[in-house]
Amino acid sequence: MAEKMDLQSTEVWDGNYAAAQALRQAQVDVVAAYPITPSTPIVENYGNFVANGYVDGEFVMVESEHAAMSGCVGAAAAGGRVATATSSQGFALMVEVLYQASGMRLPIVLTVVNRALASPLNVRGDHGDMYLGRDSGWIQLDAFNAQEAYDLTLMAFKIGEDINVRLPVMVHQDGFITSHTAQNIHPLSDDEAYAFVGDYKPVDEMLDFSRPVTYGAQTEEDWHFEHKAKQHRALMDSYVVIDRVFEEFEKKTGRKYKRLETYMMEDAEVAIVALGTTVETAILAAKQLREEEGIKAGIVAPRTFRPFPFNEIREALAGLKCVAAMDRSCPMGAMGALYNEVNGALASIPADQRPLMTNFIYGLGGRDFSVKEAKRIFREQKGHADVGYITTPIQQFSGLRGPKLGFYEVKRS
Amino acid sequence: MTEIRWHSRAGQGAVTGAKGLGDVVSTTGKQVQAFALYGSAKRGAAMRAYNRIDDEPIINHEKFMLPDYVLVIDPALAFTDNITENDKPTTQYIITTHLSKDELIAQIPELQDKKERVHVVDCIQISLDTIGRAIPNAPMLGAFVKVSGMFELDYFLEAMKRVLSKFPQKIIDGNMQAITRAYNEVN
Amino acid sequence: MKGVLATDKRGVRELGAEDLVGWDEVTQGVVLNSFDLEVENPALVPPEERPYSDFNSYTATVASWRVIKPVYNRDICIDCQNCWVWCPDTSIISRDKQMLGIDYDHCKGCGVCVEVCPTNPKSLLMFAEAEDPDAALSQWPEKKKKEKK
Repeated sequence: MAEKMDLQSTEVWDGNYAAAQALRQAQVDVVAAYPITPSTPIVENYGNFVANGYVDGEFVMVESEHAAMSGCVGAAAAGGRVATATSSQGFALMVEVLYQASGMRLPIVLTVVNRALASPLNVRGDHGDMYLGRDSGWIQLDAFNAQEAYDLTLMAFKIGEDINVRLPVMVHQDGFITSHTAQNIHPLSDDEAYAFVGDYKPVDEMLDFSRPVTYGAQTEEDWHFEHKAKQHRALMDSYVVIDRVFEEFEKKTGRKYKRLETYMMEDAEVAIVALGTTVETAILAAKQLREEEGIKAGIVAPRTFRPFPFNEIREALAGLKCVAAMDRSCPMGAMGALYNEVNGALASIPADQRPLMTNFIYGLGGRDFSVKEAKRIFREQKGHADVGYITTPIQQFSGLRGPKLGFYEVKRS
Repeated sequence: MTEIRWHSRAGQGAVTGAKGLGDVVSTTGKQVQAFALYGSAKRGAAMRAYNRIDDEPIINHEKFMLPDYVLVIDPALAFTDNITENDKPTTQYIITTHLSKDELIAQIPELQDKKERVHVVDCIQISLDTIGRAIPNAPMLGAFVKVSGMFELDYFLEAMKRVLSKFPQKIIDGNMQAITRAYNEVN
Repeated sequence: MKGVLATDKRGVRELGAEDLVGWDEVTQGVVLNSFDLEVENPALVPPEERPYSDFNSYTATVASWRVIKPVYNRDICIDCQNCWVWCPDTSIISRDKQMLGIDYDHCKGCGVCVEVCPTNPKSLLMFAEAEDPDAALSQWPEKKKKEKK
């Protein structure tokens, strides 16, 4: 039996330590990992827990992230609760196997500490790696602070392993800004946490020799499409279980999660749609603007980047005057992904209820996103709303040195 | 909101100091944040660590800060780093140095008009005497406790013992002495 | 007699002739069950007694792919198991190290078994698919004498 750890009702943990503690409390059977900045401390701390007798499971140090996720796929197919951690280049190297894991419907939990993708080499937080995973068939949960990284990691097991979901789950947190920032955390006790997550219930496990199964069969044009469609359907439908797990977690902890988080949207005229720590910084900016300048600013933030909360976005933003979608990843030849998804959600309402939509590319490679800049963006949206059209390029770069950079002008008349 | 900026060199323990301070502050029921900005992440490179302390949950994640306290734990950084960056008319400075306060201020023009807000303490010497290594973070915490008046010294020492509980007794004792000495010597 | 050489379940459908079901009927995670039922210690149960499912190639046949076939001559065979080792389609049926015959549901007629057969004359020879087995055995060649130098 694994040793239990005495935790205070309030601990001061950074996001990495919080995620490592959640993995320990879930009593994962196999962690196969290859550490990379800024998620290294998750693997390092977990290794410490194993060495000190706090975990019963196996800890496998492999030779690359491709091998790490491959080890996870093998262990999950064998019938174990499985998790790992990565960032950036490591995430990129995992991508091939991410698709295998989701296609095989293996509920692996991957804690992703978001970091920029080279080149140029950079270890700081942006959402390049998170966006790289968006078509991989994983559920993607997004934490805005360290407490949420802990909570969502626990919930990830319960969501992914549910018999009606059986999909792998990523839990994203911002590199350094969350992963290396210590804040007050209210953890569950080991017993409470494990009782919440529950025992792992294997499905089609390869170690059941009385029922041999084949994983990784080849399908060509005769079968491939049907399997992918079934997988997409499972991901689309997973919101039912996600909502239920969020509710159960709220009952246990009082901490409420929604697939689309909204702040001050009741009477908002302008809004920012964002992911990660930017959400909280923007809330602060909106509060100040409401007090100081009377601008009715609100924030909308997908908690589940996948499945994307289309219905909830539509409800939250219908009737608003102007909305800025904030993408912390360089879209390279297109509009930002968040801008595109939000526009997709709004396409199904009458044109006179659709807000003006702008897109900001910001914070790449860990560039600071300040309260001051968030306020400037809100004010700019208010300006568009007042004249009734977008007066700037639709896509702009925020916080960039050099001449103003923007793309895609509004076509009027 | 109380905001603190640490000026340090990688390896001097500013991150540990900031997290330790956060740990102790959290025991008083307050909300804390501790983070750092590394340069090249090499030992000896100049770096900064930060604390935010508030009664409300802290949702500000920007790196930009108007510090209430500037803690300089490396003697040379007072001269080479921009320690007065984004300061306020009320910002308090605690600077580690072997110089007297007047000698130090005489050499740093930016501090001339802030004399009553500058405090000095020799964290390097204190840590050498008490811990046996030049790790100036613990003495700086002692000086901060005195200057800020945020805690009673005894409360802080007890709380730090818990934070340091995984270390050998000798290290804990050294740290307690370092904190106490700096508390008494800062001026 | 069915039994070991030709069972009820083996090769009962043409490979690739499965029902093309819709997305709602395919298996979750493309996981394919070998058996329809649970089997205690399947390694100890001979293939002809295992409840192979439609997902297992045991129940499929590729006999129609073959234009020439190996014929087995029991009188010459020394049960060396070379053909069993080398057959790429596990189509040599052998029990307790005794060669029994060919699984014609899965043999594609590649001829590897004949190549690796060490006896003189060979215990396996390739004949046209339509050739009658008895007729094939009646034209079996004589032992070849080593040519002296």
